[in-house]
Amino acid sequence: MRYILACFIGLLLGHPSFSQDTFTLSGTVKDVSDGEALIGVNIYAREQKVGVSTNVYGFYSITLPKGTHTLVMTYVGYHQVEKEIVLEANTTLNQELQAEGNVLEEVTVTAEREDHNVKSLEISVNKVEMRTIKKMPALLGEVDVIRSIQFLPGVSSVGEGSSGFNVRGGAIDQNLVLLDEAPVYNSSHLMGFFSIFNPDVVKDVKLIKGGIPSVYGGRVSSILDVRMKEGNSKKTEFSGGIGTIFSRFTLEGPIVKEKGSFVVALRRSYIDILAKPLLKEDLKGVKFYFYDFTAKGNYKINDRNTVYLSGYFGRDLFGADFGFDWGNATTTLRWNHVFSNKLFLNTTLFYSNYDYSLDSDLKNENKEDVFRWNSNILNYSIKPDFTWYLNTRNTITFGGQSILYNFNPGKALVVSGGEGQNIGLHSKKALESAVYIGNEQKITKNITFNYGLRYSFYDYFGTPVAYLYDEAAPPGERKPLLDTMTYSGNESIRRYGYFEPRFAVNISLNRSTSLKIGYNRLAQYIHLLSNTTASSPLDVWTPSTNNIKPQLSDQIALGFFRNFRDNMYETSVEVYYKTLHNQIDYIRNADLLLNPYVEGDLMYGKGRAYGAEFFVKKNKGSLNGWVSYTLSRTERKVQGLNNDEWFLSRIDKLHNLSVVSIYDISRKWNIGATFTFMTGTPASFPTTKYVWQGIAVPHNYSDERNTYRIPASHRLDLSATKQNKHALFGKGKSEWVFSVYNVYNRRNPFSVYVRQNPDDPSKTEAVRYSVFASILPSVTYNFKF
Amino acid sequence: MKKLLILPAAFFFFSCEDVIDIAVKDGKQQLVVDAWLTDEVQEQQVVLSLSQAYFDQEKPLPALGAEVYVVREDSTLFRFNDNQGKGVYTYTPRNRNFLRLNEKVGLYIKYAGEEYYALSELKRVPTIDSLKYQAITLPIKPEGSPQSGFLAQFFANDFEGEGDTYLVRSYKNGILRTRSDQYTLSYDGGLSPGSKSDGMLFLQPVRMGINSTLFSHQDRVTVELHSIPLDAYYFLYQVQSETNNGGIFATPPANIPTNIFNRNPESKEKAVGLFFVSRVSRYTAVIDENNVKPED
Repeated sequence: MRYILACFIGLLLGHPSFSQDTFTLSGTVKDVSDGEALIGVNIYAREQKVGVSTNVYGFYSITLPKGTHTLVMTYVGYHQVEKEIVLEANTTLNQELQAEGNVLEEVTVTAEREDHNVKSLEISVNKVEMRTIKKMPALLGEVDVIRSIQFLPGVSSVGEGSSGFNVRGGAIDQNLVLLDEAPVYNSSHLMGFFSIFNPDVVKDVKLIKGGIPSVYGGRVSSILDVRMKEGNSKKTEFSGGIGTIFSRFTLEGPIVKEKGSFVVALRRSYIDILAKPLLKEDLKGVKFYFYDFTAKGNYKINDRNTVYLSGYFGRDLFGADFGFDWGNATTTLRWNHVFSNKLFLNTTLFYSNYDYSLDSDLKNENKEDVFRWNSNILNYSIKPDFTWYLNTRNTITFGGQSILYNFNPGKALVVSGGEGQNIGLHSKKALESAVYIGNEQKITKNITFNYGLRYSFYDYFGTPVAYLYDEAAPPGERKPLLDTMTYSGNESIRRYGYFEPRFAVNISLNRSTSLKIGYNRLAQYIHLLSNTTASSPLDVWTPSTNNIKPQLSDQIALGFFRNFRDNMYETSVEVYYKTLHNQIDYIRNADLLLNPYVEGDLMYGKGRAYGAEFFVKKNKGSLNGWVSYTLSRTERKVQGLNNDEWFLSRIDKLHNLSVVSIYDISRKWNIGATFTFMTGTPASFPTTKYVWQGIAVPHNYSDERNTYRIPASHRLDLSATKQNKHALFGKGKSEWVFSVYNVYNRRNPFSVYVRQNPDDPSKTEAVRYSVFASILPSVTYNFKF
Repeated sequence: MKKLLILPAAFFFFSCEDVIDIAVKDGKQQLVVDAWLTDEVQEQQVVLSLSQAYFDQEKPLPALGAEVYVVREDSTLFRFNDNQGKGVYTYTPRNRNFLRLNEKVGLYIKYAGEEYYALSELKRVPTIDSLKYQAITLPIKPEGSPQSGFLAQFFANDFEGEGDTYLVRSYKNGILRTRSDQYTLSYDGGLSPGSKSDGMLFLQPVRMGINSTLFSHQDRVTVELHSIPLDAYYFLYQVQSETNNGGIFATPPANIPTNIFNRNPESKEKAVGLFFVSRVSRYTAVIDENNVKPED
């Protein structure tokens, strides 16, 4: 460790540029029309041939020798700015950029600088611009961030309509989904049909699949970093949309001119309101809706300090006499502080909660028989992140994070015949902390390193009992309880700690070609217990305990990036190999809900995933979009399953092809089309059946898992957007979006299973289950004043 | 719980199911033991058959020529005979002393040169105190059954002491509802071990589990409450989940463990199925619309 540190300091200090007479230029870059900070704007000093990009708050810092420099600021979709500056002291330069055209008409696939993919150190990173997401055909016309990223290489899902997404063979709980830095524990409305992100307030979406920098940690597969808009700081604006499922309204505007802005947005589904007049008396009481509320404000105290407060609250409700509801709530407070024009600090405080509850009798009419149940995961965190723009060759990031978790795996009240009993499980607590340091270092003109180290540590405490199970029990069977240990107060039960090294290198082969390598080790201390094909809102997050060990992953990725025709086409090929440790699996009959001995029903195994991802993207012209193809394999090995041999994971997809295209016909019309083809998921089918009490019981003689595949899925979706000159009363702007999901009416299988024919139990049959098995057209109207 | 989740999803989406052809590998034929005995004075059966390819639509072949014995703790042997030559081995006890409460009972089978055995135990069962019913009209008419009718529930109390497991099933006008989704399993009066409902009145979902379709006026309802051993509870639980395992919340298919063992653990011949014994409480009532409080 000491050796690494010594090398690190040596690398920094040993640089000749350090002793030169240099000054630092720093500032923020914003959009001239609405004052939104622009993320990832390239600032290039032409004579020195060095450049930097703005961070997520639009901040940049570049250190240059004394003298005159030509600065070029570029950002796709915006007019390039060239500025000559005479640098004789440390200087602040805030810049506003102007979009090339009407934002609604703008068709750009990326907001990154044009050759960002080749020049940056980021490997296995995909960004999709919101403007692109909004033009892609959407299910029932509802623009959706999570559905859109499923068109990216290396990303898939277990089936249409399932919650979450899978990245490079990772489970859905292995993705860290961040909304303004706060983790979101269930990213879906309505069991997974729609994601919780209101597209009208999302500014930036970035998916990191590999080469994950040391600033991130806590999940073993990917980071989905979603940033909310700050709100228009120039003028008050009201926008919204009326769609098939949701209505959306957003209000944004300045708080104090040029000092701050706010944005509030509300979405609500209204099928229940539309259906109400059609429902009969006895259905009148049926509740079925979901909504979310997103709000954010920022205030610039002075040139050195800016604060941001953002929050999300979403809820799904379903019920009549009984009720079932679930949702996330997050609040993030951030403070940007510029210590000097070389040292930038962002401190984040967040609160995040996911909970659900079930109630057998909402009106509380029947006092004799009651069932009430709730569960939640709650956490608070503090996270300081420093960026130190040391010199043109080194940018150091360091900081830490502490998250205090409170898990309520389930509390319930059962009343039967008037006699009540409180049942449920003890709450548990955990403290997850990390410190990290990383450096992005230009070694030579053509080689850039990003290396870092994260140390995460974890303490499990705050529950009165812990159990010891017989780990030597036959694998695959319920583990017998050996001992019960009792703890008082906040006594520590189990601690873990891991070093997580990170490394990435960019070797520039020529102006438009580069080779990149990324390695990361990641540790994950919390786990979603879910044994169903698609995750359900009832699934419970559990901490690592004395029995459940943290998950670990190691991944190495190698990528070749090349741009053609003056960055009109971006191409990349990446290969990756990932190993996963302490992967949770379940015994047959596993009882995951309200079970104090749930850990006795878990098994632990390992996983591996490898594959190749091919990506071609066209950035310019009236036709743009991308083609992505992933060839991959995901496997598991668990003692007690599949005769202890490697078997295909449930999320394995051999082939995954996506085509996204957007075409501007005229200033008035544009059309979008997406096509996807995916190998069917692995499945297990019986070899034989036996009849027991008249029931045909399926049986697999060789006890093998996932040796079959369900048929492949493919689907074409189309959309067309028509821009109107005005919205209502001759004011504002508006557009109509027409979309058709599943154009050629393909009945894609979600799963195939076997059963006894319900009408003739002597017959057995295989059944294909499809979720969206028909053409789904929709119309959406969007407006902006 | 799974049903609860599917409901809203089906509410306004367009999921559908259709029967397709799939090709699956064949497995080896195995001896199937279907042996559920009670301590009642009536013919007791051990049905032996052979497993078959999953999509083979013929009736299963009987396992003929087997020797079948049931043995009590006091070493008394009861021989079961296949008098009809159909693989149905029967014995009719002369009194209720055939199986004894809280005693273990063994099953011995010799078939095709292999010897198999299984163990079970007769557990206590509470009496059913009453059966009540209420009128109801469903919002949507279910296929093949009436929209208006009566929901019945039985009343019984779980015994004090953890670990009592039960099976509840019902007859409508003398016809037993036999499908795997028509019986209800109970652990200490609740649905699963986690419900911690020991010693309470059976919880409402168990009490009302007998309504796979609504009952009508003049229907004769019989409820059977069986005490079953824990391995039978898990076997029957998994039979339900493995035979109703579709949709987006399906669990990975898995073989159901058997309690039938080959006496020679090295032998490649393994049997499937389950042997267990139960005590049963019954309650019968005739639905009378004049005896029910009207719908609110």
